[in-house]
Formats: sequence, structure tokens, C-alpha cells
Amino acid sequence: MSEGQEVTAEEQQPLVVQKVQEQYPDAILDVSDARGELTITVRKEGIYELMAFLKSDSELAYNFLADVTAVDYSLMEDVLMKHDYARFTVVYHLLSTERKERLRVKVPVHEKELSIPSMASIWKVANWLERETYDMFGITFDAHPDLRRILMPDDYEGYPLRKDYPLRGRGERETFNFEEQNV
Amino acid sequence: MQKDPNRVPGEPMTLNFGPQHPATHGTLRIVVELDGETVVKATPHLGYLHTGFEKLGEHHDYNQYIVVTDRMNYLSPLSNNFGYVLAVEKLLDIQVPERCEYVRVILAELSRIADHMVWLGMGALDLGAFTVMLYGFEEREKLYSIFEKTTGARLTTSYTRVGGLLRDIYDGFEEDVRMFLSTFPKTLKEVHTLLTRNRIWMDRTKDVGVVSAEDAIDYGFTGPCLRASGVDWDLRKAEPYSYYEKFDFDVPVGANGDVYDRYLVRMEEMIQSGRIIQQALDNLPDGPVNVDDYKISLPTKEDAYGNIEGLIHHFKIIMDGHGVQPPAGEVYCATESPNGELGFYIVSDGSGKAYRIRIRPPSFIHFQALPHMIEGGMVADIVAVLGSLNIIAGELDR
Amino acid sequence: MGLESQLGDNIFTTTIDKFVNWGRKNSLWPMPFGTACCAIEMMATLASKFDLSRFGAEAIRFSPRQSDLLIVSGRISIKMMPVLKKIYDQMPDPKWVISMGACASTGGVFDTYTLVQGVDGFIPVDIYLPGCPPRPEDLIDAVIQIQHIVEQESVSPKRQSGAIAS
Ligand code: SF4
Repeated sequence: MSEGQEVTAEEQQPLVVQKVQEQYPDAILDVSDARGELTITVRKEGIYELMAFLKSDSELAYNFLADVTAVDYSLMEDVLMKHDYARFTVVYHLLSTERKERLRVKVPVHEKELSIPSMASIWKVANWLERETYDMFGITFDAHPDLRRILMPDDYEGYPLRKDYPLRGRGERETFNFEEQNV
Repeated sequence: MQKDPNRVPGEPMTLNFGPQHPATHGTLRIVVELDGETVVKATPHLGYLHTGFEKLGEHHDYNQYIVVTDRMNYLSPLSNNFGYVLAVEKLLDIQVPERCEYVRVILAELSRIADHMVWLGMGALDLGAFTVMLYGFEEREKLYSIFEKTTGARLTTSYTRVGGLLRDIYDGFEEDVRMFLSTFPKTLKEVHTLLTRNRIWMDRTKDVGVVSAEDAIDYGFTGPCLRASGVDWDLRKAEPYSYYEKFDFDVPVGANGDVYDRYLVRMEEMIQSGRIIQQALDNLPDGPVNVDDYKISLPTKEDAYGNIEGLIHHFKIIMDGHGVQPPAGEVYCATESPNGELGFYIVSDGSGKAYRIRIRPPSFIHFQALPHMIEGGMVADIVAVLGSLNIIAGELDR
Repeated sequence: MGLESQLGDNIFTTTIDKFVNWGRKNSLWPMPFGTACCAIEMMATLASKFDLSRFGAEAIRFSPRQSDLLIVSGRISIKMMPVLKKIYDQMPDPKWVISMGACASTGGVFDTYTLVQGVDGFIPVDIYLPGCPPRPEDLIDAVIQIQHIVEQESVSPKRQSGAIAS
């Protein structure tokens, strides 16, 4: 998103951006710092290593994964254009309890290859958060220990939080499977 | 889990716990595999109360959505209202008047007490201490009458507005709250005498459901559950919002991360909330409670009925497609709700409705660690651990 | 009447229906199916200030097989509905149902893809209790209404009027 000021001069770059650029020179697509919230948009390739680095680096120490979710940008033309028409963006919210700093990491994901590496082996909390993202958006997480639907019934079709899914559903309210297994 | 070499292995048994079970406080389901009395494996199932809150956020305007946040963590709706409007205000980049912040803090802390009271009552009830539940609900009823007088509803309060409050507090609010503050520590004392050194209570809660500090962070614990594991982390201190830095209060921290510590931390938190409320009441500033911006706050009744500008502004805020329209962008705003970090991630496309609202629910994240906490323990411990996490189904499933 | 005067002060005569209904209506055993916010108000009704036991309905049973009054309080999702139906089916006759709150009766403010828009599409409901959430007094009133319904029932199958087919 092109909100706030793009940070350009090298010395103004926040520490995390400097370090990531040093380590993974062409991972970062975009940096923004709007409303005091630092956001980096990065490439999907190598995201697992990058996240592991953010956690393990002693200076950065983003030890706490607050949230994983996704956004379906299909109705926001300007964002779509910026990210090469990648429909979905997976959003991670990181926190360093030591430095009391937050970081948002955004990863554009194309609809053609709707998958991204799972972070469950880095943070245990990622397990269910990723399951929920899968349930709601249909984004698969590679190497996830247990990728199943979590909130919706197992035999549910469709991904409710996608923009093309109607609020009132597609008639599931009337036709849902009444014979639930081993209740 | 330690296997006893002399034990004759029996058939493992699968037990279905929930979704309708007295100790689940709502609708959770855990399938546990038992070897005798020992839990070998636990698989939680959820989604029985999935309501589509996040999808609804894309179809409601910013003020309408406050109503929905009430129904999320229904033990402390005011905290949800508070967290949500803070996020929207951050998106709009506005600062609400000081009085408004103070009132919000007072109500959020009162609802923290109310939340912990119900938690205490239900948690104790699950472990067989029926009296404590009546104590907890007694105090809660007192709080409910304060909430009702302030907001008009006992439970579904919808009290905050983007840029302010529904209305100012009523005359006599201060006395009512002070009255409550003077009596509730007595109840807590009585509960302490009933439980804290009670043999049965200690046996059932000590060293049960232990989570180490590293695991707690790894599992994303926040709030009392994290603090019970010995991590001093409270968003009110770490990232102060709404003048929390002005108040003097302590953050209780446990040591063992077991059910007993979670109980003690919550008990102490109520006392500390009382301290915050006291200070906020003492320093409650005068002035308006809504921002002076006709694009955000509704005009007063006199203006809306009395002059044409007032009427137009009123109309513009209420009408679909006008209303509060934050600039395009995104925001993540976390507050310390009674259960832990309640985060709202809002993506705006510049229109009157959010493009995407994501709620980071503490209960959902705590519930994930349940298998870790009960596997290897006794079947009776499930109830104790579940109670100590304070899982609210509305927030869990959204 | 003539008989009672003969029998003295300690013996009353009545019909079987009246007698059974009197017993039933004053000892309703609710099965609380509480899922969401309304359940909190239901708990408040049971707690000390409102005290449902004044109306003889405090014997909460979490087992459907022991209860005769189902209180559906809260939102019912499509994942939950089969469970609710199963619980209703397990309850012995005669049984009554209170649908507490806007959500259970109509879906309330949540007209979304996952919520059942009113449980009465799947189980028969005797009392719809409006409110979001209804106040504890409302729930007490609903229980009294149920008591009035119970009074109309009859133990004889021939005279049963408007009883719910099961
Ligand atoms: S009717 Fe209102 S209070 Fe009751 S469950 Fe629905 S939203 Fe909650």
C-alpha cells in the first residue's frame, strides 16, 4: 500500500529493513510506515527463511507471532496493480516483547499457486491461525502439520471470506448436512 | 507421558467431551483418548458458534459494527467496544477528548472485574465450589446495574462510538462506582478464605496444566495466562493507550504457569483494576465526550432538531454511503482485554465500510494450547485447565 | 364436593390431569442449551439475584434424558444444529422448548452464511422469547408461560390437544 511516506534514504531505514536487506537483498518489495506501524511487503520465495531469521536474529528478536490472516484484494484495483495482480495477501503480525516493537509482514499470493510455506514449525501458534486462514480463504500452507477446516464443517464448500462469497452464503443454511458424524 | 512398566495395558478409550457439556461454558468439543484415567491425546474441535463476524464487518459501516463487537466476548462487551473504536480512531487519526478516554478506561476496567468475577464463579463451580459462583454473580449483578444505568443495557452495551461515547455518564455514576469499589474487595477476601488455602482447591489446581514461559510465548499466550507463566507483559504497560501510562498500578506475575497461578493472577488483577478506577475517578476531567468534528460525531439532539446544519450533519452520518469514512489504509490495534491481547486489524478502502476486519481473539489462541496442557494429565484436570483459560465461545469461533 | 365434605379436612379430590400437571409445572427440569451471550443471562437468572428456583425450575440437568424443558439460548450455527436436534430427540416426552433471544428465534442481527435463521425450522418451539439478550425477568416470565402451557396438557392420549407430535 502506498500510504504514508516511502522511506528512501538508506540511513533512515528502520533496523529490521536494513538487516533484512543485508541478508536477503531482493526479498523486500515495499516498505511503509503509516500511523506508526511498520509494514514490509516481501516476496513469497524464501519467506520461511526470512521469518525464521526475524525470529532468531538476536537484535530483531520478533519472538511473538500475534496474528496470521489474509486479505482478498480482488476489489481493490490499486493494490492489485501494485502487486502484479496477486489476489490474496497473507498478513503476519509480529511482535518483539523485548524491544516492544511490532512489524507487519505482507506476502502477496497469486491465485494460480495458492500456497505459502507454513510457519507452524517456527511459532506453534501459527498452526491454528493458518488453519483458519485456509478455512476462510482457501490458501494452503505447505508442510502444515494438520491442515483441515477449523471453523466450518468439514464438508463445507466455498471459502466464506473471499470477496466473491455472498454474506448470506450460497444456500448452505438450508442444505447443510444434517447427519453429523459421531456427535 | 510416563508409562508404568507393570501396568497391564488396556484398551484405549475415546471420550467425547462436548459440544454440549456443563464445563465447556458454551460450545467446544474435545475428543480425548484415554488410557485409564490418563489423557493420551486430545483433539479440540471448534466452530460450533461460528457466526461470521469478520464477514459482517465488510457489510456494516464503522459505527454499526460496534453492535457486533458486543456479542463477541460477552463477558466483557465494553472492552470489545473499546478496543474496536480505538482501532477505527487510529485509522482516522483522531484523538478523543480526555474525559472520554477516562470514562472508557473506567468502564473497561469495570468490565475486567466483571469478566474475572464470572470466570471465578464458573471456574470454581466446575471444580465443585458452588458458593463461589454465587459470590461472583452477586458482584457482577452490582456491576450490571451500573452498566445498565450508563449504557442502557445489561450485557449488549454498544456504548462507545467512533470518536466518543453514546452519551456522557449519568449523575451519580461516581458514587455508584465508588460504592462498588468499597465493597468488592471484601468479596474477594471471602473468596480468598474459601479457596486460596483450601486443600481441595490447591490439590486440584497446583501443578495442573503447566505452561512454561517459553511455551507460553510460542503458543501466543497473552493476558493473565501469559503472566501466570512468569512473563511480565501487559499491553497497558508495554504499549500504553488511552492514558494508561498516567495510572499507577502493578502487573501481577505468576511463577509456575499452572491453574493455581492463573487463579491468583486474576484475583490480583481485579484489585489492580480497582486501583486504576479509583485514580481515574479522582482525576476525571470535565468537558465533552465526543470529538468536535461533524464528520465523525453525531450532533446533539438540540442541533439535529433545531437547525438545518445539525440536521444535515446528522443525516450525513446516518445515511448509507456517507458516515465515517477513514482514509484508505490499514491498521492493527491491540488492547489488553480481560483475556489477553484483543487485536483489530482493519483494512480500509476509503469508503464508509471496512474492506476487511480481522479480529485477533485471545481465546482462540489459548484454546490451541489445550492439548499441550492436558496430555499426560488426568481426565479430571481437563475441566480445571479449561476453566482456567476462560475460553469464551463467541470469541473463539466468531 | 359432596365427597370432600364426607372425607374430612385432610383429603382433597381432583382429577388426574390436574394433579399431574400441578406436579409437572412446578418441577420443570430445564436442559440449558446455552451457546452464546444469552447463556450468560440464563446463568444470571439461575444465580442468587433472580433465582429461578422460586418457580421450581432450578434443577438444571445437563443430560437431556433427565429434563423436560429445553432452553435454547444463543446462536445456533449450521454445525451446531444437528447436535441440538439430537439433544431434543433424546429428551423424554412430554417436553417443552423455549427459544431464548433473537438469535435462536430468527438469527437476530446475524444474517450470515453460517447461522440457522431460527431453530423452529428444525424443532418445535413453544415460547419465543424476544430480546437481545432477554432480561432475566423475561426468562422467568417465559418459564411461567410454559407452566401455563403445561396446565393445558392431559395425561390421557385421547384428550391431548395440540400436543407436539414426536
Ligand atoms: S439474541 Fe443477542 S444476546 Fe442472545 S445470543 Fe443472540 S446476539 Fe447474543
